[in-house]
Amino acid sequence: MTLVKEAPVRPAKKRSAAPVAGRRGRRRENLAGYLFMSPWIAGFLLLTAGPMIASLYYAFTRYNLFTPPEWVGFDNFTTMFQDPRWQKSVEVTLKYVVVATPLKLLLALGVALLLAQKRRGQGLYRAAFYMPSLIGASVSVGFVWRALFSDDAIVDRTQKIFGVDVGGWIGNPDYVLYSLVALSIWQFGAPMVIFLAGLKQVPQELYEAAEMDGAGPLRRFWNITLPMISPVLFFNVLLESIHAFQVFGSAYVVSDTRCGPADATLVYTCYLYQKGFKEAQMGFASAMAWSLVVAVALVTAVLFWSQKKWVHYEEAAK
Amino acid sequence: MGTSRNVERRTILKAAGATAATLGLAATTGCGGDSDSSADGTVTLRYAWWGGEPRTIAIKKTIALFEKKYPKIKIKPEFTDYEAFWEKFQTQASGGNPPDVFQNAVGFLRKYDKRGVLLDLKTQADAGNLSLDNFRNGVLANGQVDGKQIGIPVGANTMALVIDLKAFKKAGVEAKFGWTWDEYFEALQTIQDKLKIAGDTGYFAIMYLYDLYLRQNGKAFFTDSDLGFTEDDLTQWWTDGYKRVKSGLVADPKKIEQVKPKSGLSAGLAASEFTWDNFSIRYEGEGESDYGLAPIPTTDGKDTGQYLGSLMLSAFAGTKHPKEAAQFISFMVHDPEVGKIMGYDRGILATTEQYDAFKPADANNKGVAAYENEVAKAGVLGKITPHPSGADVIEAAFLRLGGEVAQGKSKPADAAKALFSEAKAAFAG
Repeated sequence: MTLVKEAPVRPAKKRSAAPVAGRRGRRRENLAGYLFMSPWIAGFLLLTAGPMIASLYYAFTRYNLFTPPEWVGFDNFTTMFQDPRWQKSVEVTLKYVVVATPLKLLLALGVALLLAQKRRGQGLYRAAFYMPSLIGASVSVGFVWRALFSDDAIVDRTQKIFGVDVGGWIGNPDYVLYSLVALSIWQFGAPMVIFLAGLKQVPQELYEAAEMDGAGPLRRFWNITLPMISPVLFFNVLLESIHAFQVFGSAYVVSDTRCGPADATLVYTCYLYQKGFKEAQMGFASAMAWSLVVAVALVTAVLFWSQKKWVHYEEAAK
Repeated sequence: MGTSRNVERRTILKAAGATAATLGLAATTGCGGDSDSSADGTVTLRYAWWGGEPRTIAIKKTIALFEKKYPKIKIKPEFTDYEAFWEKFQTQASGGNPPDVFQNAVGFLRKYDKRGVLLDLKTQADAGNLSLDNFRNGVLANGQVDGKQIGIPVGANTMALVIDLKAFKKAGVEAKFGWTWDEYFEALQTIQDKLKIAGDTGYFAIMYLYDLYLRQNGKAFFTDSDLGFTEDDLTQWWTDGYKRVKSGLVADPKKIEQVKPKSGLSAGLAASEFTWDNFSIRYEGEGESDYGLAPIPTTDGKDTGQYLGSLMLSAFAGTKHPKEAAQFISFMVHDPEVGKIMGYDRGILATTEQYDAFKPADANNKGVAAYENEVAKAGVLGKITPHPSGADVIEAAFLRLGGEVAQGKSKPADAAKALFSEAKAAFAG
């Protein structure tokens, strides 16, 4: 970017080149810029844009990977809405989003509030709490989770001390989804760091003034902190819900690739994967993928619309 | 960044070079993976299989043996577990890039034959590159579809009841040939009463066992192109199954789920489990008890409905080296040394050369051999029919829906209805 801006100024001063040469120079530099960007552009076209367009086309076809795709119009979408397993996957995903997102953000905010205060070893704590976010998406953590929440494993034994006996969460269709929720909450590091940055932006004099007026900690949090960090909160809600809609790896690994038992962890992407790669119904899978895109876009739109009611930007206040 | 002309030109050139390199790289990887012959006439074949670590170690030894004998053919191994294998294979095959030679099973023959992926090895046999002689008990027929030979069996296996010998002995029950289902469930009851453990790990979600039960009653799971039973049949099968979970005769599915990938039997959750007889070898390593093979219960006291199934080797129809692929398969199924190395890992060795060469030394392999000989002697072996295209999807659905019934999450009638509707979609796919 700087390259393009600077170009016409400097050569003109130094060499007082003719306007024609300047234009040619600029074109040259643009060319250089595009050439530098071309690996990325090629990658984007070949690996992102191309497949997306192809999948949009496949969404309207019956395609088993071997015989050429056959145009079926909206058939995939109508079968999809009538498919009980698809309905189940939507239900499971919504349950996951609605339970996991708020809990994760609540914990992230809570820990951010604690870590925002100045104390010794602050950096160490921050790193420690952020760590799970770095490794959380890995397959190995999925295996660890499976081991933790199985029958007679540490979680089960701890529960039994308190007189709760469910015999492990992994095999129980009523509980297994909550083990995934727990895994999501455990990775609260990323939103926490963003909350921390938000908390740093809140002007101290507001708290001082409120304190002088006799506001207690709860009141200060409710009337100063929360409104002041509401843009950050909005950002986190948006990002985390979008993430939650796309949950896959943990469900796939924890359920030993079957998204079960009894379809209890059949999250949307898991069903999509099964349809596409196990049953070779690529058309159906593409239709599912595009429906997810539309659904996430709708949720995003609703969140953007709602922000007028609860997100406070300083510029707006002025 | 410098703006002088010289630097600029160099920058442009460098950028262009980098781009060309990247695109070039993409192009190479794009069409990579083809097996090819090198200048000195050496041919490379890709060989893929699924299975655990012991199988992989053994197969690698047999590859080394082959490469020594055929120095002009190099074998590139690819292996994963069962689930991953077929997912990967499907993608590779649809891209026209499957392995030259690969392990195959009866549930996939029609599916990939229909899609033109499998080489008819009969032509190679006619050309003298592959021998179709000396196969035991007619297992060669397992690899035939519509007159084509698209799979060559490496081993033969059949369903069995693997039992915890100690538990059966302690409970004082005996598994005898020709026993009926009623007698089997009575035995489970005795085990439960005396040992306070479940008798079975969940028989009613195993498609291949239900197939045997249907065969005992004059039906079969699959016809050439459809399901060979009714929704009512299945509803009854699952209703009985669920009743037995509730009464504790069959192990708690919640617990079975959590010991995976270990089996419920070797984890000590139940005293018996229906599975393929060659799987029994793995239980000894996994579990703490001693395990043996017992006969399949019958309906009429005689017919078990059993047949000999097999794992096979198939070749890709589009392979650039059909001759070498056929030579490789022939070596793998006939060479006595290979038989000695593989043992009964993929079932009882399919050819007489290999069968005679391998003398089972441990109780487990001996047990498998004795069991299969007994089954063959009883003269009740039926014929296997290659499953229709979509059978693999239906097997997965059967396991899943059976699991839902066991967990009390689906009513047997609803689950049976779901299976039929999913089967319809699978056959159409």
